[in-house]
Amino acid sequence: MIRDFLVWLQTELGKGGGDTAQSWSEALLGSPNFWGLLEGTHLLSLMLFAGTIFVVDLRLLGVTFRRTPVSTISERVLPLTVFGFAMVAVTGLALFFAKPLLYYHNIWFRAKLVFIVLALVNISIFHYRVQRNIGEWDGLAKPPASARASAALSLAAWLCVITLGRFIAYDWYECGKPIPRWINAVEDCASSEYGANNLEDVVK
Amino acid sequence: MTPADLFPDLASWVGNLHNVWPAYVIKPQFATWEVAHILSLVILGGASILLNLRLIGVGVTSEPASELHRNLRLWIHVGVIGVVVSGLLIGMANAERLYNSAAFTVKMIALVAGVMLTYGASGPVARADGEVSASAKAWWLAGLAVFLFGLGLLATSKLIAPGVFHVLTAAALLVLFVAQGRVRWIYLAGLILLIAAQWVGTHIVVKQTDFDRLDPTNKAFACVFAAWILGFAAYQLFGARAAENRPLARAIGYVSILVWVLAAAAGRWIAFA
Repeated sequence: MIRDFLVWLQTELGKGGGDTAQSWSEALLGSPNFWGLLEGTHLLSLMLFAGTIFVVDLRLLGVTFRRTPVSTISERVLPLTVFGFAMVAVTGLALFFAKPLLYYHNIWFRAKLVFIVLALVNISIFHYRVQRNIGEWDGLAKPPASARASAALSLAAWLCVITLGRFIAYDWYECGKPIPRWINAVEDCASSEYGANNLEDVVK
Repeated sequence: MTPADLFPDLASWVGNLHNVWPAYVIKPQFATWEVAHILSLVILGGASILLNLRLIGVGVTSEPASELHRNLRLWIHVGVIGVVVSGLLIGMANAERLYNSAAFTVKMIALVAGVMLTYGASGPVARADGEVSASAKAWWLAGLAVFLFGLGLLATSKLIAPGVFHVLTAAALLVLFVAQGRVRWIYLAGLILLIAAQWVGTHIVVKQTDFDRLDPTNKAFACVFAAWILGFAAYQLFGARAAENRPLARAIGYVSILVWVLAAAAGRWIAFA
């Protein structure tokens, strides 16, 4: 059902009459300048978003700004982080909209989504549980283990998101190529236009 | 202006670079080194934005600029060294493409300007809590000249010129972030009007397929955007609000952020043209 929706999104939505008519998704992908600007803005927004969240995480780990209260860093830096995240999300959605089927059948993209969810769950836990007694450790150079664990998880999750995001550009495990059976299953290649080509069968 | 235009005699040397150590070791792990490059940019970007926002007079204002510099300088070093080392490695493995890329020339110019502004102007001024020494002034002027040269090159090079809108967008958001009260709303309203006018101009008045008129129209809008942003930036530097730091220290903050935006934007456009 998801794939059917994405096929409609990619090939039908916004399509006018005539043989050469393009859907909005195809028009976006075919737009040389806007597409480039979108990808570039995604990367630049990442510099703002991830760059500032790393500073907050490093403070929570007790690595930097050890003399500055955690709440000061959070209050002053997190608005930038949230704005950066909004920019990353909007540009990311637009990039997805231009090639929904490619991303849907991409193992790196699927893994990236898992880590984004993990990072967001971690933020929620930090916000609603770990941070509740911040008054007790706000000024400490080294916050308690729960805060440090949350920061370490955040750092690791966003590192994975960035790494996996870059790997999406590579076609190592593209559907239709001879790839391990489990990757075919994860990418749902059987439903893709290129089908599933199991490496094990090719080797046999 | 590509490196091939500047150094035509190096063509055969560049053509053989991918066979030289460590390029042939890097090539199979190219994607991993690209990730290292992006991570270095992210670290540099975050640290540089926070430090220079403080020079402008926003962000972590509860701490003196020298305290921010003390805490962030290590991460600025990590970012700059990471960008240069990973860039050299992936550049060697991809040398022929970069040799013929105008975007790569812009990136190298921005990198030089970034190092000059970060280590010659922004860092020393932050360390001195906003006091601008004669040497910082000299580095600022030299760095600004190199930055403007790179920006001009990006704006006038074929195929990569749209990348200028990255720098304009970053500058627009920076000024918006710093602006306060009614000025912020007037500025934002002007930006929205300009964006709407550009859309009408390049979709209805001039058709998307009319490349001969589209390009000058976009360039004209880029100039109007730049004038609008620079006007408000000048107001922030010299206008009503008495800020803690002098106008020059704040100007150093603005440009020291934008120079890394230019470097990152040019780097991204290597892939497109």
